[in-house]
Amino acid sequence: MTWAILMPFILMFAGLLYMGFARKIHARIQKRYGPPFYQNIYDVIKLFSKREAAFHGGMFHFGPVLSLTGIIMALMFLPVGGKPLFSFQGDLFVLLYLAVIAPWGMALGAGNAENPLASVGIARALTLMLGYEIPFFIGIIPIVVRTHTTQIVEIIQLQQINGWNVILFPISALASIIALHAMLGNKPFDQPIAPHEIASGPLVEYGGKYLGILQLYQAGAILLSTGIYVDLFFGGASNVWMFFLKTFLIYFVLLLIGEVLPRFRIGDALKFFWKWPLGIALLGLLVAVLGGVR
Amino acid sequence: MYEDLKKDIQGKFPAKFEVIRERRIKVSIDKNSVLPFLSYIKSKGFIHLISISCVDWIKENEFEIVYHLWSYTDEIHIMLKTRISRKKPIFETASEIYPVAQTFEREIHEMFGVDFKGNKRQIPFILEDWDDIPPMRKDFDPLKYAKSHFETEEYTEEVWTKVRKIQKFRGEE
Amino acid sequence: MSGIGKTSRIKSLWVTYYVTGCGGIELLPVITSRFDAERFGIITSATPRQSDVLVVSGFLTTKTLRRIIRTYEQMPDPKYVVALGACTINGGIYWDSYSTADKLELYIPVDVYIAGCMPRPESIFMGFAHLMAMIKGDKADGWKRYHENYKWYKKNQDKALGNSKKWRVRDV
Repeated sequence: MTWAILMPFILMFAGLLYMGFARKIHARIQKRYGPPFYQNIYDVIKLFSKREAAFHGGMFHFGPVLSLTGIIMALMFLPVGGKPLFSFQGDLFVLLYLAVIAPWGMALGAGNAENPLASVGIARALTLMLGYEIPFFIGIIPIVVRTHTTQIVEIIQLQQINGWNVILFPISALASIIALHAMLGNKPFDQPIAPHEIASGPLVEYGGKYLGILQLYQAGAILLSTGIYVDLFFGGASNVWMFFLKTFLIYFVLLLIGEVLPRFRIGDALKFFWKWPLGIALLGLLVAVLGGVR
Repeated sequence: MYEDLKKDIQGKFPAKFEVIRERRIKVSIDKNSVLPFLSYIKSKGFIHLISISCVDWIKENEFEIVYHLWSYTDEIHIMLKTRISRKKPIFETASEIYPVAQTFEREIHEMFGVDFKGNKRQIPFILEDWDDIPPMRKDFDPLKYAKSHFETEEYTEEVWTKVRKIQKFRGEE
Repeated sequence: MSGIGKTSRIKSLWVTYYVTGCGGIELLPVITSRFDAERFGIITSATPRQSDVLVVSGFLTTKTLRRIIRTYEQMPDPKYVVALGACTINGGIYWDSYSTADKLELYIPVDVYIAGCMPRPESIFMGFAHLMAMIKGDKADGWKRYHENYKWYKKNQDKALGNSKKWRVRDV
């Protein structure tokens, strides 16, 4: 029971290690040594020891708190090699709902920063969310339709019996993994936090403790997105170490794809999402429905 | 071909024409015929105004304005020189003929104080909040200005002994 | 500042490179693959509001000095300044010009000087190592000096840069 309460914080800590691994892999591909893989932990501790320099209004201070609360709440519903803290019928949709509170909190907070770059960043983030949410949801629906349940733990148990969902619903898995790439915020879909164009978008006026909170939010969001995907398509995990292994492998493959691509323009990204992943997801839904609803 | 150009120019304007070397020509002209000369020479193929520069002849009490022109078809560089008075430096703008001259004249207005009539954009360019005479004139003393506004450390004998001690410690002599 | 806090400040320095003049050309090999600075945790931050260190490299005209002071005042505490090149120490080869200020330490507090024209990347790394040793020994307190002696810094800034209401963010 105590492990279930502490699991969100363990997942956020593991997310920091994943971000450190991402920097190390990025450096090795560029033929240089990179920082040690625990570098992001030093970053977050250093950020928590600085004082703030910008004071802009009520929502500016409340936004990061809202986003951290949202991610902890969402992580409490995610099964990590066992039963989570809360588990009931319909908790798949509750989890997907709660996963949207966190970027919404960041958007509200950054909207109150008196900087036009922050507004541009939030507009891009919400536009991108409009692009990737729909294929992701349509890709999940065939599983719900075939297995007649919306409880994530039951979906995992059914996968142990019938085989992994990535083999049973390959077309929907393909659509969902493209949408997952945008949820993680890696290249080519990192338009909201583009450091060279808009000086890191919504994070532009935050420094010090608020930036530390937002880094923790990003670390948790990595594990949340890949965790949902692993639980629904790759058969969950029997214990915590297999869970970390599976999520890290998916994160690694998406990272390597992102290494060779530059950043898309936001209009091109939106057109891409409404053409190809949406088409593939609808095709997968059609195949699943025609294949027989028992 | 320099002979043809020399005959054309000296037929129309009272100019002094000198060929310095291959592809370099110097033309001296008086200030009232600069604009007709520029429109004439633009029609002969000298379509590129490279720059406009200014020289301060303080002993003769005159400014000299130099136009640098280039022709892509003949590959000749013409330096057109005129003299204006230094006490009341007023001249006409060349931006009707070459629109790029507006920026060059803005810089000369800021650095030398020459007023180009007809140039609508003679506003501060490089210097911000400048409160002294135009700094490229020869009667402006930059060392006096720098010493009165900015502090700097003089290299006295005391400083040099310290430097030599550090160099000896590091074994660098 | 206890052990883990100080160690994390040393091992993760986020830098704003303010490249005013020729000094920036030797910073390019430092931050890219040739002499990799990211393995020490030194990365380029996107805005001054997210960074710890301000690296001023090159000569200081009056126009850029006003912007440097505004950038320095936007950074969150604790912050450090590294001055690169001979032009920030005593004017360099532009010491007698009417538009360059000579000594940087009269306008913002400087922690580490790196001499050279330009300093080579190995010298820049030694300068950063010196800064890390100063942070560990609690000697890098330029930001405290700025708060305590603000009147003296303001007097120097007004004398060199003129009218103070137009470009200042705050007025103490």
